[in-house]
Parts: sequence; structure tokens; C-alpha cells
Amino acid sequence: MAGSSTKAMKTLSDPLVENNPISIQMLGICSALAVTVQLKTALVMGISLTLVVAFSSLIISSMRTIIPRNIRIIVELTVIASLVILADELIRAFLFDISKQLSVFVGLIITNCIVMGRAETFALNNPPHLAFLDGLGNGLGYGAVLLSVAFIRELLGAGKLFGIQVVPEAVYAAGYENMGFMLLAPAAFIIIGFMVWIQKSLRQ
Amino acid sequence: MSDTMRSLIFSAVLCLVCSLLLTAAATGLKGYQQENVELDRRRNLLKSVNLVAAGGDYSAEDIRRLYDANIAEIAVDRSGRVVPAGEDTGVSLPVYLYQTGDAIQAYIIPINTRGLWGKIKGYMALESDGATIAGFTVYQHSETPGLGGEIEQRWFQENFVGKKIVGRYGDFVSVSVAKGVADTAVPEEKQMNYVDGISGATLTGRFLTAGLKDILETYEPISVQFRGQRMLRMPQAAEKKTQP
Amino acid sequence: MENIISIFLNSVFVGNILLAYFLGMCSFVAVSGNLRTATGLGFAVVFVLAITAPVNWLVYTYLLAPGALAWAGMPGIDLSFLKFITFIAVIAAMVQIVEMVIDRFSQGLYNALGVFLPLIAVNCAILGTSLFMVEREYNFWESTVFGIGSGTGWAMAIISMAAIRSKLRYADPPEGLRGYGLTMIVTGLMAMGFMMFSGIIL
Repeated sequence: MAGSSTKAMKTLSDPLVENNPISIQMLGICSALAVTVQLKTALVMGISLTLVVAFSSLIISSMRTIIPRNIRIIVELTVIASLVILADELIRAFLFDISKQLSVFVGLIITNCIVMGRAETFALNNPPHLAFLDGLGNGLGYGAVLLSVAFIRELLGAGKLFGIQVVPEAVYAAGYENMGFMLLAPAAFIIIGFMVWIQKSLRQ
Repeated sequence: MSDTMRSLIFSAVLCLVCSLLLTAAATGLKGYQQENVELDRRRNLLKSVNLVAAGGDYSAEDIRRLYDANIAEIAVDRSGRVVPAGEDTGVSLPVYLYQTGDAIQAYIIPINTRGLWGKIKGYMALESDGATIAGFTVYQHSETPGLGGEIEQRWFQENFVGKKIVGRYGDFVSVSVAKGVADTAVPEEKQMNYVDGISGATLTGRFLTAGLKDILETYEPISVQFRGQRMLRMPQAAEKKTQP
Repeated sequence: MENIISIFLNSVFVGNILLAYFLGMCSFVAVSGNLRTATGLGFAVVFVLAITAPVNWLVYTYLLAPGALAWAGMPGIDLSFLKFITFIAVIAAMVQIVEMVIDRFSQGLYNALGVFLPLIAVNCAILGTSLFMVEREYNFWESTVFGIGSGTGWAMAIISMAAIRSKLRYADPPEGLRGYGLTMIVTGLMAMGFMMFSGIIL
């Protein structure tokens, strides 16, 4: 039992830092950049993706012995798309304000390379409980990167965290101004570039 | 069982399961989603006349209560005639009246124009003098975040308050988005018809200006009635039952 | 007409689907190492988008949108919640066709693109274009132009990036920055450059 539980732990913890989907595997960058203007949207996106990849890996792994080889990609896409539609419907029903800001990016989880990638490379060859943990780990690793980028962007670009003003009035009065650049597209690219650099250098 | 047969049966079962699941979810949640959209629309309408504060926390009950108590919905046709509820004349333009007691404080026009990237939807509230803007809100747009997307910011919308849609001689000129700061970019006698532009978002400003002009022009007949002090009281026959 | 031109120019420059909306990054990072492959992929994406945008518009308008099935006598039905699945299915089918066309006409390109050709199907930019088209309520011609424009913008970005990376091969960046990290930073600078187009008055 000890053997399989350490394997389980490793499956879960590996993608958090060591094998992080965004910085090391280079997957899932698309949506990572657009929704990181605010911590709130980054959080919802991270949670949605984690749930989708965990459950799609679970379902696909459970079906792995009966999925016909020749339609395997389409089956994976169908499962993933259905889960994403479910997530989108739930968000629009219960988290309306955030859904307006996330707009099309929830739907784009379908094309997020992480979900497809984990289904193809892990879920098809591993038992369901490990597939679930792997999906969970990758989702959390993705979420961690998202939150880090959003933290920097929201703090420097708007002086807020989760919508709450953090930079005190006094600092503004002394001449400090929000770095508007942080709210724009290029900033996200550059921040991730630096994060990757730091992470890779630390690995050496 | 041949491979093709297996694939077909598998796909059929998968499709069936997915469709049932998704249809159940979509129909079950539809009520919530539509309610959200309607509440959002009403909140924005109320915001345009300052009945709710931007960024304030209001429950669905609050919104419903405020709306039912203060807003009445009527329809006018293209000539500005108020269309009594139930009469079907084809083209009818919705107008929302903000009234306290029996007197009309402001009338609110729904804005739906083309923006740079997609539709811009909002509300513009005009005071009962038919000429001064009481408020402006944007609740849906697809403009570039940080650039044209600034139209959803409070500073941009608040700039509209107090501006006029008529020129010095009482003629209709609509309200326009200046290129740059209105105080410096526009001659003094026209400043009351211009709001500050958004740097880097000239095109969004242009589309908004054109769209507002179009819509306000369509509603000119009723604005003229307000200017001539002919619409100070709630027209009795015209009150439309507001949808729950 | 002016509307169509402005949508095209905006989707190529100011609202570049990759540099402004971050869509299509995965294949962008992976394929931009080689100029020839990047050009081939760029053209393939333009082609796929030029076809899928209008086809998805037709599917959405006549099958999925609220009230779309009025022509079949069922005006009350709203199937818009199926748009993700249907769009992806249309895209996957189109990509399959493009793959067969390329295989028939250019073996070299087919081999060079390798696994990235089927990966166009899950390229966020393709699905994203269709979803944006629905969100912005474009009509048929606007959708087609938007598709071509988005594809052109994406192709421009990846070809430029491939050219820059081939120059960078002679540079000597720190170990941790090499490859991926540097690509990200260069993309950020490119995105800044493209933002200047927003000041153009047409």
C-alpha cells in the first residue's frame, strides 16, 4: 500500500513545480495570459480548468479499455467539450459577473493543450485514481502560475488584490502611479518569460 | 462484432449520454441565467439615474424593489407618440421613465450601437428638460481591455453627466467623444457637447459617437416633447406592465 | 464596405488574435523555430479559418441560435449551449480535409508539418475566432472577413517570430532563458509593437 500511495503523491505533486504544465511542459499558455488581469478571474479559470482536466482524465481513464482506437481523439474531445459546456453553464448561472469577464475563455478550455495532453499521454495508460490525481496536479500547477501572474499584474497595474485596494492612498498622493502597462497584453508575455527563466535557472 | 460496428455503437451511446446530460443542465440552469441577464440589465438602468451606486452591493430583491418602485416602461413610435400598452403598431421604441410620485425626473433610452469589435449596449438617461444628460452606463461591449474597454469605467461614464445634446441655439447636436481632453481639443462654446476621449481608443470613441448620434436622433421626437415641457406627467394609458 | 475593411485591418493588427488575445500560443511556441514550417503552418491556419468561420456562422445561425430552427417549424428551441461541441466538430472535419489537400499537393510540407497539422484542430485561435464571431454578432460577410483577418494576423505573428528566432540563434542568452523564456519575452515586445497600430486613423 505504501508503494502506491507514494506513487499517488508523486503523481499529484510532480506537475505542481517540477513538471509544471505552463513553465516546463509549455502547454496551456493561451488562456493563461488573457485571464490574468485580475486575481478573481484567474482563480475561477484555474478552478474550472482543474475540475475539467481532473474529471475528464478520470472518465477517459475509466473507459480506456473500451474506447475504440480509431475514434479515440474524437471521444476525448467529446468528453472534454461536454465537461466544459457544463462548467460554462454553471458559471453563467451562478457567477454571472465573472462570466462576463471570462467571456469566451471558458469555452477555450476545450482547446487547452493541457486537458487534451494529459488525456492522451496519461489517462489512456493509467488507472482512474492516478489519472484523477494527475489531472488535479496539472490543474493546480496551471492555477498556481495563473495566480502568480495575476498577482503581479493586478498589484502593479491597479494597486488591488481581488478587487480590494491594497496600495494605500498616501502612496498615490506621493506621486506613485499604477503601472498601466501591466494591464495590457505584452506584460503577461514578459512576466511569464521571466518566470520561466527563474524556474529553469533554479533547476540547474 | 466488427471494429466499425463497435465504433458506431460506442459513439451512439456516448452521444446519447452527453446530450442527455447537457440538455438537462442547460434547461435546468436556463432560468437562473436569464434572471441574471435581466437583473444585470435592470441594475444598469438604475445606475444610469443614480438609483444604485456603481460597485455597490445589491441583492436581487433590492434591484427588483427599486426597479418596480421607480421605473415605468413605455413605448413610443417614430413620431414620438406614446403607444398605449397592447397596441401593436410595428416599430416601437422602448423608453424608461424614472418618476417620483407623479412627476417624471428623467427618461432613459437603451443604447445598442456598433463598437469597434462588437455591440456596445448601455443606457443613457436624460433629464426632463430633454437636453441635459443625467447619466450614462455601458453594460456590454467587446472593446479591447485597457483601451476601448475603458468605456465601462466610472470616470468615462461620469463625464457624460451634465453634458447637453443640444447646441447653443437649441438645435440637436448629440454628444460626442472628443479626441483627447475636451477642454483643450474642443472650442469653448462646444465643450458642453463633448466628453473626454480615451487615449489609444480613437476608433471606439468614433463608433460610440456615431452610434449615440443615431439613437438620440431616433428618439428626438420624444426629446422635443420634453423640451417643450409637454411630458411632465406620466401618461396614464401608456403604462406597460413591467415583466417580472 | 468600410465596415468590412475595418474589421479586416483590426483583426490583423490591433486585435491580432495571437498578440492581443493570446490565442494559438502552443503551436506558435513549438513551430516558430523553423521559418519554412512556420510559413506553411501560417498558410494552413489562414485557410482553415477562412472556411470554418463562415461555416460555423451558418451552423450557428440556422441550427443553434435561439429561434434559429424557425425554418423547420420549431422557433422556440435554443440550442446555443451546443455551440462548443458543434464548432469543434466542424473545425476537426475541416482540418482533416486540409490535411488531405496538403498531402496531395505538397508532400514536403506535409512531412515538415508532421504532427502539427492535426493539432490545428485544437488550436485555440480557430475555436476562439468562431466564438468571438458569435459574441460580437457579426453577419455572414463580416464573419468571413474576420476569419481571414484573424488567420492572416496569426500567420504574420508566427512568421515574424520564426524570422526573429533564426536571428537569435547567433545570440548567447543565459541558459535558463534559452528557447521558451526568450520566445515569451520577444512575443511581448512584438505585442507592444502591434499595439501602436491602434493609433492609425483610417
